[in-house]
Amino acid sequence: MDSIPQELIDTIIDNISYFSLPSCSLVAKRWRRKSQRRILGTISFSSEDKVKRWCTDIPRDSNGISSYVRHVNIQEIYPWVEPALLSRMLGSLSSLTTLTMYGTEIPGEFPGHISRGEFGKGITTLRLRFLHLPYCTLPMLTSMILSLPDLKELRIKHYRTMPEGPLPTDFVTPKRGPLDMLKLYGHVDRIGEALAESRLTSRHLSLDVGIKDIEQLLLLSLETVVELTLYGA
Amino acid sequence: MTELPDTSTNWIPPLIPLPPLPVLTTLVIDLRLYDPSPRLTNTLCSIDSAPALSSIAIEHAVDWKRMGHLCPGAPWVDVDRWLSRIAKQTKVMGGLSLTLRRWPEGKSVWEGFLPEFRESGGKIKVGDSR
Repeated sequence: MDSIPQELIDTIIDNISYFSLPSCSLVAKRWRRKSQRRILGTISFSSEDKVKRWCTDIPRDSNGISSYVRHVNIQEIYPWVEPALLSRMLGSLSSLTTLTMYGTEIPGEFPGHISRGEFGKGITTLRLRFLHLPYCTLPMLTSMILSLPDLKELRIKHYRTMPEGPLPTDFVTPKRGPLDMLKLYGHVDRIGEALAESRLTSRHLSLDVGIKDIEQLLLLSLETVVELTLYGA
Repeated sequence: MTELPDTSTNWIPPLIPLPPLPVLTTLVIDLRLYDPSPRLTNTLCSIDSAPALSSIAIEHAVDWKRMGHLCPGAPWVDVDRWLSRIAKQTKVMGGLSLTLRRWPEGKSVWEGFLPEFRESGGKIKVGDSR
């Protein structure tokens, strides 16, 4: 086994079925790291209990297996019984690049952690769909998005409720350069308007023509747009 | 009793005073309805200056087998007029090209939909879905 070049092992692991990867990781030490990287490259949490188990069972180690996670999907966790779990889990993932939240509540304290720079560095893609926002105000959500320093792609589709409210004083809302992709569709009127008012621009802009304030969005956002997609038209 | 006029079907949104779009090179229109809606038509007609625009794609998500055959109508006249205006003012070498994606009846039907665009030198291609 020692005579097999590492490149060949890596190629085998890259091309093998996902379901065979756990067995691969047990072949030998040289097989383990690469197999675990693929297994844990994308993980999904569909309940608060799973998030809790991750926080309990996986050591927070910048070179350990938590660093293998690059894409996280959080689905249908609403409401949170222990809201701090979300920040704790995401804070443990040092290589996270893509965060997708679907049908999930964003706890009230979550945007503040990102706004204060406690985590979120390295996240390049943020996808928010059918969010529940009972405790997160529009200025807090906007500030959170603008505070992700490496964000390149933002997609927002529908959200359910978002209370009014001022931005807490400890929030920092930096100015930032254009995104590569901004996609807004469904019922997103107020967040779209808020992002436009904060002068967030994008090279690729994809808009649902049904958005109520599309006129204002277009007026504020088009200067840097290289590719524009209008849909639902 | 006051009778309110029914404006739901004839409502035409006002034009948007959009600034010039100096770096816009590509426009994709993803239709989800049979014809372009008044809102879409209005948004397009609000784009007055896009000198770098070289490519427009109109992609259709409608199931044409269920919807029946194509029929040119008023929304397409407006879109055609706008396309023609934009095609004339483009500064891109080779001019403006229009790609129709997922259209069921081929190029020949579409050329009949967009006469002004063709006369203004615009090129029509029929392509696959992205």
